[in-house]
Amino acid sequence: MHRLGGVGLAAFDRQKESQRSFAELSSELSKAQVDHLQSQLTQFRTALSHFAASHRDSIRSDPAFRHEFQQMCSSIGVDPLAGPRKGGWWAEILGMSDWQYELGVQIVDVCVSTRERNGGVIEMGELVRMVSKLRGVGSGVITEDDVTRSIKTLQPLGAGYEVMDVGGGKKMVRSVMKELDDDQAIVLAEAQAEGGRIVEEILEMRRGWPRERARAALENMLLRDGLCWLDSQDETHGKAYWVPSAMRWDE
Amino acid sequence: MAHSPQTTPSGFLLPSIHSAPPFFTEQPNPNTQAQHTEQWTRIILTYARHKRLFVLRVEDAAVPGGDWDEVLRNERINRRMLPSHLSSILASMVSKNLAVYEPPKQIHAVLLYWRLPEEWADVLHSWATATGQLNTILTYYEITDPPVPSPLSNMPLPLLRRAINVLTRSGRAQIIGVADGEGVRLFAGGK
Repeated sequence: MHRLGGVGLAAFDRQKESQRSFAELSSELSKAQVDHLQSQLTQFRTALSHFAASHRDSIRSDPAFRHEFQQMCSSIGVDPLAGPRKGGWWAEILGMSDWQYELGVQIVDVCVSTRERNGGVIEMGELVRMVSKLRGVGSGVITEDDVTRSIKTLQPLGAGYEVMDVGGGKKMVRSVMKELDDDQAIVLAEAQAEGGRIVEEILEMRRGWPRERARAALENMLLRDGLCWLDSQDETHGKAYWVPSAMRWDE
Repeated sequence: MAHSPQTTPSGFLLPSIHSAPPFFTEQPNPNTQAQHTEQWTRIILTYARHKRLFVLRVEDAAVPGGDWDEVLRNERINRRMLPSHLSSILASMVSKNLAVYEPPKQIHAVLLYWRLPEEWADVLHSWATATGQLNTILTYYEITDPPVPSPLSNMPLPLLRRAINVLTRSGRAQIIGVADGEGVRLFAGGK
């Protein structure tokens, strides 16, 4: 009677032998797979760097293209700013991080120089406008996307720069270490819609807030945070609040 | 509505903040108020220089029709500066030596220092040098109302006295009593 593998001491050897060859085969297979993957990755990297290098100028100068490129990177899980080397190998290939850091510096510049008049909160469109002016480029060259991205690169500095969504597709950039509570965000959004002016009645009517809540939110922004200004000559209400960061300023 | 710089009928360029309604209200937040005061100070001094105005009174904010309507009022947005607000701005300017209460011991009118007395002293000395009037006695009237208009034309006497005081302290002028009031003799002298 023949059992599989036979009997006796020799069977142990045979079993060991076959186990070893299976293991060998398996490691050979996975090695081949890893090699394959590695070569694919290398190929991908080469292709991507080639792409990035050959389109470097377009990426730096054309905002639509830059946006597409960044979207492509994020969809395949590659962060153009991250990488093994300082600044990321993307940065080296593209010179992208210089651009981004440069933009970051200019964002800080605008935020700090306008802080006096807006209390440290600036509307995204206004920020983009002012940064563009600072760089001496026309509108559309720098996008909200670029600014948002640059602000992310500022995060390690711990200066508290943050992009806030205030609803209605409006974004604000906060440059002070001050938490805006939900009510203040709503006030910002409503003021935004009114060109900067806000009165208790608007918050009552549109948001259904009790008068006390509206007053408390506005008075806090006025007195405690310096985020809005008082107008005591308002035609309809006698007293109105103005949020400078929600006002349109033409310099 | 965008807030943009505006040029007044007299050709003065007002900054965009001048078209913001709350700029005409005294701010309860001390930081905000300090920033607004600084802006107002700048506007007032540059406007004074532009129109060669030497005096600003609290009542300029109360009564329309004066020299200061273009800055203290903004008809486009229907706002005006209230006298109490102007009064606190004047106080701030005096504390920073950008103006001085004139006459002293009241707080309703100031002499504006868009040039400091030291700077006026230099202007006066250069004018006398350029027009060959060193070492001669000049009455104050001859200085503030010269036949040929000068940078010193219409300068108020209190300001002229302060400028001359600066010159006497540095030995470049000597005050002399003359028949019809005060006179001064200017010397070349080093600074």
